[in-house]
Amino acid sequence: MKKILVIIGIIITFFIIYFLQANFFTWFTIAGIMPNLFIIFVIFIGLFIGKKLGLVFGAIFGIYIDILIGKTIGPSGIMLGIIGMIAEYIDKSFSKDSRITIMSITAVCTAVYEIGMYMFQIIKWGTIIEIIPFFKILLVEIFFNTILVIILYPIIQKLGQKIETIFKGNTILTRYL
Amino acid sequence: MYKNKKTGIIGVVITIIILIVIVIVSNVDIKGISYIENIFTSIVMPIQNGFVYLKNKIEGNESFFTNIDTLKAENEDLKKKNSELEKSLRELEIIKSENETLKEYVNLKDKYSEYKTIPAYIINKDIQNYTKTIIINVGEKDGIKPNMTVIADQGLVGYVISTTDKTAKVQTIIDTATSVSSVITSSRETVVVSGTLENNTTLRATYIPTDATLMENDTLETSGLGGIYPKGIRIGTIKQIVNTKNIIDRYAYIQTAVDFGKLETVLVITNNEE
Repeated sequence: MKKILVIIGIIITFFIIYFLQANFFTWFTIAGIMPNLFIIFVIFIGLFIGKKLGLVFGAIFGIYIDILIGKTIGPSGIMLGIIGMIAEYIDKSFSKDSRITIMSITAVCTAVYEIGMYMFQIIKWGTIIEIIPFFKILLVEIFFNTILVIILYPIIQKLGQKIETIFKGNTILTRYL
Repeated sequence: MYKNKKTGIIGVVITIIILIVIVIVSNVDIKGISYIENIFTSIVMPIQNGFVYLKNKIEGNESFFTNIDTLKAENEDLKKKNSELEKSLRELEIIKSENETLKEYVNLKDKYSEYKTIPAYIINKDIQNYTKTIIINVGEKDGIKPNMTVIADQGLVGYVISTTDKTAKVQTIIDTATSVSSVITSSRETVVVSGTLENNTTLRATYIPTDATLMENDTLETSGLGGIYPKGIRIGTIKQIVNTKNIIDRYAYIQTAVDFGKLETVLVITNNEE
């Protein structure tokens, strides 16, 4: 029952994030560049709930974004699904209790997501490769996402631990005791 | 984890403040901070004037100040005249602007009179940094179909890529995946214009014929080739010509006629296929 409630909560949060991204963050930008809250959200799901749900939610949310605003269906779904999986793998190697770790994961995942999306765009639409403007946008976006993680970290940490207990049980590593 | 709770909250608050400052500073229009310039000027300039006065005194330029009363009166008179002139200039500018707007409307009406259009509002702009699609509030039920051209008062916006009953998705000309066949209005040379990542008002013109003569401020309009956009819709003006070692590779930056940052309403051309 608790799991279902969490899943409903995740879906509602996705829509809240969508409206934030479509309204608030279209004017609250750094030099006209928006952050990408979906990446942070999918990392959160992957880290605290697990790779299967990270992959599934990432893919579903991505496809939904593609349907709503994308030129073609698929790229966001694939890339957000990958982010969900990466987050779970990283969870096994690093501690989530460190703010720096979550910030680093966000920075790496933002880079992976945007590079993947841009590569897809180049292959699918044959667009001209613009390396400098692309990296300029990417760096600002990484910076913006990382700053948002610093702000949201206390919420991520508290909510994440509660959700993790619901989905994974008690995750204390007894080998360290 | 072992930190004081209060310190953590203070850290978050400081980060929020820093973020807000970065957002404001990075988006502020330099013209908008003229009042700050005024404050700084009003602090420094009276003192600076005093120094100049003293300097003139020491250097023996007293004659400059001898007829100070006459000069003051003259100055007042000139100020008055200047203010009157400024007032008439402003009035003339308003009349000129009104005249231009009216001319524009008349031209637009004539220019696009052959097309049937449906007005629409933009209800959603893109939520990602690398793509530039928009959603408008008219759809299949209003007679909108894919590949219909979307324009604004100032010029070309893009074309419809998909529709639902009540909405339509429009791929704008500033999207990097968009290419528009266009002609330079003065020379009638054909070029291909596509979106760039540079900003929301810049396009890139490529495939420029080697013998074509490009001039800055030349306007570009759709050529009618390609089957999507009708002929003669304004795209923008040439902002900068970039010459490369190989003349075949030269390109130009185009300033879009439409200000996509402020775009709110558009027109969908529904009878282009006829």
